[in-house]
Amino acid sequence: MAYHLLSAMKHIFSILLWLGMATWVYSQEKRTISGYIKDASNGESLIGVSVYVREIGNGTVTNDYGYYALNLPTGVSYTLVFNYIGYEKVEKKVTLTDDLKLSIELKDESVKLQEVIVKTTKEDENVKNIEMSVNKVEMKTIRQMPALLGEVDLVRSIQLLPGVTSVGEGASGFNVRGGNIDQNLVLLDEAPVFNASHLFGFFSVFNPDAVKDVKLVKGGIPAQYGGRISSILDVRLKEGNAKKREINGGIGTIFSRLSYEQPFAKGKGSFIVAGRRSYIDVLAKPFLNGDLKNSRFYFYDLTAKANYRIDDKNTVFASGYFGRDVFGADFGFEWGNQTATVRWNHIFNNKLFMNATAFYSNYDYGLESDRNNTRQSGDKFKWNSNIKTWSMKPDFTYYLTPNNTVTFGGQYINYSTKPGTATAISSGEERNISLDPRYADESSLYIGNDQKLNESLSFQYGIRYSYFRNLGPGTAYEFLEVVKGERKLPVSEKKYESGVINTYGNWEPRFSTKIELNSSTSIKASYNRTAQYLHLLSNTAASSPLDVWTLSSKIIKPQIADQVALGWFQNFQENTYEASLEVYYKKLQNQVDYVANSDLLLNTYLEGDLLFGNGRAYGAEVYVKKNRGKLTGWLSYTLARTERKIEGINNDNWFPARFDKTHNLSTVVLYQLNDRLSFSANFAFNTGTPATFPTNRFEWGGWTLPQNVDNSRNAARIPAYHRLDLGATLKSKKKLFGKGQGEWVLSIYNVYNRRNPFSMYVRQNEDNNLKTEAVRYAVIGSVVPAITYNFKF
Amino acid sequence: MNKNTLYTLLTYITLAFLTVTTLTSCEDVVDLDVKAGAPQLVVDGWVTNQQTSQSIRLTESAGYFDNSPAKPVLGATVTVSDDKGRVFSFVDFKKDGNYVWKPVAISDTIGRVGRTYTLRIRIGTEEYTAVSKLNRVPKIDSVTYFFDKLPIAPADDAPKEGYTAEFFARDPMGAGDCYWIKSYKNGKYFNKTTEVTIAYDAAFSPGANSDGLRFILPIRRAISPEFYKEKDTVKVELCSIPLEGYYFLNQVRTESNNQGLFATAPSNIYSNIQNTNPKGRKALGFFGAAAVSTFTEVIDAKKAKPKDGN
Repeated sequence: MAYHLLSAMKHIFSILLWLGMATWVYSQEKRTISGYIKDASNGESLIGVSVYVREIGNGTVTNDYGYYALNLPTGVSYTLVFNYIGYEKVEKKVTLTDDLKLSIELKDESVKLQEVIVKTTKEDENVKNIEMSVNKVEMKTIRQMPALLGEVDLVRSIQLLPGVTSVGEGASGFNVRGGNIDQNLVLLDEAPVFNASHLFGFFSVFNPDAVKDVKLVKGGIPAQYGGRISSILDVRLKEGNAKKREINGGIGTIFSRLSYEQPFAKGKGSFIVAGRRSYIDVLAKPFLNGDLKNSRFYFYDLTAKANYRIDDKNTVFASGYFGRDVFGADFGFEWGNQTATVRWNHIFNNKLFMNATAFYSNYDYGLESDRNNTRQSGDKFKWNSNIKTWSMKPDFTYYLTPNNTVTFGGQYINYSTKPGTATAISSGEERNISLDPRYADESSLYIGNDQKLNESLSFQYGIRYSYFRNLGPGTAYEFLEVVKGERKLPVSEKKYESGVINTYGNWEPRFSTKIELNSSTSIKASYNRTAQYLHLLSNTAASSPLDVWTLSSKIIKPQIADQVALGWFQNFQENTYEASLEVYYKKLQNQVDYVANSDLLLNTYLEGDLLFGNGRAYGAEVYVKKNRGKLTGWLSYTLARTERKIEGINNDNWFPARFDKTHNLSTVVLYQLNDRLSFSANFAFNTGTPATFPTNRFEWGGWTLPQNVDNSRNAARIPAYHRLDLGATLKSKKKLFGKGQGEWVLSIYNVYNRRNPFSMYVRQNEDNNLKTEAVRYAVIGSVVPAITYNFKF
Repeated sequence: MNKNTLYTLLTYITLAFLTVTTLTSCEDVVDLDVKAGAPQLVVDGWVTNQQTSQSIRLTESAGYFDNSPAKPVLGATVTVSDDKGRVFSFVDFKKDGNYVWKPVAISDTIGRVGRTYTLRIRIGTEEYTAVSKLNRVPKIDSVTYFFDKLPIAPADDAPKEGYTAEFFARDPMGAGDCYWIKSYKNGKYFNKTTEVTIAYDAAFSPGANSDGLRFILPIRRAISPEFYKEKDTVKVELCSIPLEGYYFLNQVRTESNNQGLFATAPSNIYSNIQNTNPKGRKALGFFGAAAVSTFTEVIDAKKAKPKDGN
């Protein structure tokens, strides 16, 4: 591999060596307590459980696989406190003489909900953990929130968190702290998902029955993550019930769902298979006739995961996702993601934990016209596009001392993309209009350390080096700028049969610190630099499934973000309430925009249609969350500004991004009335998104056309967005077939029937070309009630 | 494939689906306050190879919601010259901003394929120019039609069944021919911006590698934005336009139908009218040269083709 990567490796390993040496001195006469923490009801490993050692006033948390390790002096008795929100606290007394395996199962707290327990423990993640700018939402909560059409949706739910916006209702993806939607690394069991939407953005691809845990990292991104510059949405799938067979399912307005979980090999392994499919097409079938008879409109996904514990030191996981949206009749359009992940958790010794991941991820779409036409002399158009990646990723956690946890590892990603493979047939004559495939790879190495200096001060620091190569065969184009901000013309091209066409390398330093002022208050600060070599080119308001993921090239430089964040974290009333106030400033380099009339599809000279510039985003986020009691939920408020400055747009001045929202308020309230009945409500208020309106009109060819004399972009705003949703869940009294459980979920979206604008635009009146008018467009223009039935065996 | 068509289609599919699922997207006409900018000269005109009078319209732009007819620009000196030294004067006979050249003899035309035309407009101290080349155009071989039915009734009161017409012509060899296809039903021009059909070689856009092909199906059938009925007259005009004209019309269509989930960021429409003083006030609109092929057919049920035949 290239010199860059070698020198990066050398640097990183010398840091590691130094750290190892430094802490070796202190690690004598110590033994390790380690183990897995699981959910007592189904054997699912629990992520982020606090393990606190009372005697030393310090502790750790379980990693992404539920594993923890503590290195402590021998010959002493310790009290270990295992604590996790929503679960009963467990205390264990141990005397440490030798390495100790201590695996714990925690019981779900909601079983005893009536007797609201007042916790006396002081440990709390919000204050104690060094993580900042991180939001976790329990699936339990997401499931209770009122949802559009009753379909529990992960991406819609996280849009109610601070710092998260979108261009509008119904748009796919989400924007985090001023980042574009392609700047979020959406991971499904460590495999990236390139398009997380069904039905153009209305629903996300994550089946709620199969998801265990969701974490959104908006800042203070640890060194182990890379590849996208704004956020990480880390979605972990359930491992499958390791205790008994479990069947979950439901019938909603859009999807019908079914999942099956079962232990195998005497509980050493378990698996889950979960599927969903929209079924409106099945119901509509009898009513369709003529040309519509062959219409297809459905979407489905299948999620599966299995794990097997070979022995105490080795566990393997395999998971996969397969989803597809299919629309059309004579004209067909379909798209979908496939991911497959294999992971191996290996404990080398009590201190060294490894997770090795290999994944494959593919996103593709296809369009086909005249599907019913099979004649030789006929007309046809066929087009597909894909992006395929595979990757190897070893990650190590080294529990050096209770005060130092070192993480290190690397990743190799191989990309191969087909931006567009198309054939057109006109009256029997066939033409190939395909673009050349493109290849690249990305290698990275990282090392980081979590260091507790004393009871109040901790650091997390690390560095990542990423190295990107455009690989042959391929063609590199050069362009000439004629007029700034307009299409650049191709002037030369160079073909490469093989080898390396172009490279980029970036150092990405990461740093976080936490100062605990007292047991319920801490201050945290972070800085991170991130680099991204993959760009979703989209010139439309909402991203469409046709948008092409494009690799960096000589012309398209890697996107780079630098972010600083500062936060105040405070808990109240024995951790019943947790609150935080964060401010952030983010600088973005090499942001992409588009010339007027840009043609991003099937265009060989696509790069000539791109414009480049910088971005900046800053804001303040307030978050208050109530964790315990009959009433739970959160309130989030963000005051923010997101701007871009692009050559040739808005007279080269800063302008607000399409998803910039000054005020963004959301509240989620869940109320558990009794064992059977619970209520929920969401309320959201956003400042209207920016818009560009013409100042003048002119007549040409019998039409009235718009003109903006200031040549400005996004200088106006559409009216504010606000919406209230309500929901109720009623568990049935009777056991379903003697042992199962059923529940009805009622949801009302947009309760007060507001026509929230997605956009405003101008047009000439349909009947009178000389009359101009402004139009407000709402994607969801009415109240949407829905009912869902869920069952569980 | 042309993106606008595609997005229209996508939006259509989405909307169709959402209607089924009881979700209703909606559009309301609302009031909007915008501050009008200073007016600019607007040029709207073509010279063609047809044996008719040719006209160039000069108006002023106005505030966006100013719903009165555009104010004509009077008293301008308008000429068009070709690269062989011929000069044609355009005169505003009616004092309404329409500057007209009338052929003296019946066989007189301005446009000749291959020549380049320069428009000069003098208004007071300002002078504007525009240059356009008149490109070749193939002849239209035929117009055929077949009887068809829509599965669901169209939203407006357009007919649910009738004849779909298509024209057949072949793009000549040599890449880069651009066209504007205009169609008329019983002499009435399909004049909506959504009905603007332009082609690059035989397909929608430059990337389509469609040089020398017969015009592709969606372009052939674009002459039927709605059904024709028995005895209707279908008229098709295939106009060769310069590349700038292709981009201009493409943007006209985009900017006047820029709505929905997949709208692009609004941008100003390109103009090929130049003020000879680079610091002077800029002008809007487009001046172009075009060669035109026409074909007219009267719908006769007996001559209709079967639906899926060629």
